[in-house]
Amino acid sequence: MTQPHRQATETPVMPLLRVDKVNKHFGHNHVLRDVSLDVYCGQVQCVIGPSGSGKSTLLRCINWLEVPDGGYVYLDGQPVGYRWKGDALHEMKPAQLAVQRRRMGMVFQGFHLFPHKQVIENVTEGPIVVNGTDRDQAREEAMALLAKVGLAEKAEAYPEQLSGGQQQRVAIARSLAMKPDLMLFDEPTSALDPELVGDVLDVMRDLATDGMTMVVVTHEMAFAREVADQVVFMDEGCCVESGTPEELFGSPAEQRTRSFLARVQ
Amino acid sequence: MTVISRRTAGDSLVFRSAEGVRPVARRHPWWWIGGAVLVLLIASFIHLLVTNENMRWSVVASYLFDTEILSGLLTTIELTVLAMVIGLVLGVVIAIMRLSANPLFRTVSWLWLWFFRGVPPLVQLVFWFNLATLIPVLSIGIPFGPTFASWDTNTVITSFSAAILGLALTESAYAAEMIRAGIQAVSKGQTEAGLVVGMSQSQVLRRIVLPQALRIVIPPIGNDLISMLKFTSLVSVLATPDLLYSAQMIYSRNYQTIPLLLVATIWYLVLCTLLTLGQQQLERRLKAKRTTGTAVPTTKRLRFVPMGRA
Ligand SMILES: Nc1ncnc2c1ncn2[C@@H]1O[C@H](COP(=O)(O)OP(=O)(O)OP(=O)(O)O)[C@@H](O)[C@H]1O
Ligand SMILES: [Mg+2]
Repeated sequence: MTQPHRQATETPVMPLLRVDKVNKHFGHNHVLRDVSLDVYCGQVQCVIGPSGSGKSTLLRCINWLEVPDGGYVYLDGQPVGYRWKGDALHEMKPAQLAVQRRRMGMVFQGFHLFPHKQVIENVTEGPIVVNGTDRDQAREEAMALLAKVGLAEKAEAYPEQLSGGQQQRVAIARSLAMKPDLMLFDEPTSALDPELVGDVLDVMRDLATDGMTMVVVTHEMAFAREVADQVVFMDEGCCVESGTPEELFGSPAEQRTRSFLARVQ
Repeated sequence: MTVISRRTAGDSLVFRSAEGVRPVARRHPWWWIGGAVLVLLIASFIHLLVTNENMRWSVVASYLFDTEILSGLLTTIELTVLAMVIGLVLGVVIAIMRLSANPLFRTVSWLWLWFFRGVPPLVQLVFWFNLATLIPVLSIGIPFGPTFASWDTNTVITSFSAAILGLALTESAYAAEMIRAGIQAVSKGQTEAGLVVGMSQSQVLRRIVLPQALRIVIPPIGNDLISMLKFTSLVSVLATPDLLYSAQMIYSRNYQTIPLLLVATIWYLVLCTLLTLGQQQLERRLKAKRTTGTAVPTTKRLRFVPMGRA
């Protein structure tokens, strides 16, 4: 087991997120095959791999937007989507699943901001509706988050008035407003024009420095190399190889990893 | 040899500058001829309207604000609004049932649509009005179990409530189909974005999906509202004193059929115009709201800056 190198903790530590032999089929298409992954508190894991290798599906299985059909995901040692009742494991009620989802923020490739709400309302929506936070307090916290992603002056704009990069930063602020323990990013920059990628990556880099635990699916190899504590290479639904950026980029053990890296770099 | 240009050596190759020469605008003789014919037709129509003795404009004028007509007008407005509101609320419920994962809900809503779109509203009106013949007593209770309260059907089903039932149920079927299309037009990513901040399915539906879906269906619903206004005239068969029935009552006494129908027509057109304007206004407002975000007065914006509070 790899130790997080950014956090000095006594051994053995419990991973914040454990993905244990997760499988997923879409019809006859076996999309995830026994994928396992441990993410420790404060760690940044980057997931790389060719298109169609199951990276998005993996993230969606972690927060149960897709239900895995084999294996378990654990958050803080508790299975996601199930509840222990004595020694029996019961499927959760939607309300309990929602409580688990609150702890995992997610940022999508396509932003998915709420187009009928202002930027600030996008950010306050979760705290107000889900946590029942007082409106004024939610707005105050939202303004602080928008300032953090550099968009305080856009608080009253509507999403369609923003550039892609700005929308994605709002989406990050919207996730952070729920004070998650873990952030999942699904190719947050691949829908963006090249000159807008930097701003979003800067925000993510700041988050990593602040100690946020993150799982980042990305095609930005330079970012993975610089920010990740652990890089995972996926191909055809399998977790082929994982290691520190130095190990994975410097001396990949598997042929498949080498040929993928040769293609993208 | 292939021909790549049809320009031949015989073409004039002299360059002639057009600078300083004002071009002559193209003439459109057919616009003028067609326009003249239309104007003539319209003028003769208006001439007919104004001079035809049978129109009796003086009678029209004297009945336009008659109390009986005005109370009929009020009934028509009440019927339209009530039937529309009930129809829309039911429509949202049926649309959600249509999209439910539960096959029983889907089947029931499908049958509802099939029935209420298939039976003409006029047949329904008469049917609901005669409900007492079929079910003499209406009661609330547990099916096949005890009843908590019951009423004589004839006291519940007046001609007014029968009209509302028939119109609202028909509307619910049409509204359900529009709203379902609206809900499906909202991308799945919106639902997922709501779910990942920890909202429940019903919160996502109420706060994220429905507001967007309803915005999409405002134009067709505006259309429906206008047809509803006209469908209310069906209630005259149940002797509900709406606008048309009030006009009919008056002309059955004084035989001024055409003038009173004109009175009703004028009022229907007035209401229809108001609704159309209202719909345009609403659509413009919704569009404006989305595009003026940055043009908000500074005073309003300052209120939300946390530093401003300290
Ligand atoms: N909802 C779905 N229904 C059916 N098949 C799906 C669905 N979602 C994904 N798949 C299939 O699962 C496989 C993995 O898809 P996934 O989106 O996880 O890949 P990815 O690694 O994220 O690719 P990319 O880099 O292009 O985003 C693909 O073959 C895809 O066609
Ligand atoms: Mg993907």
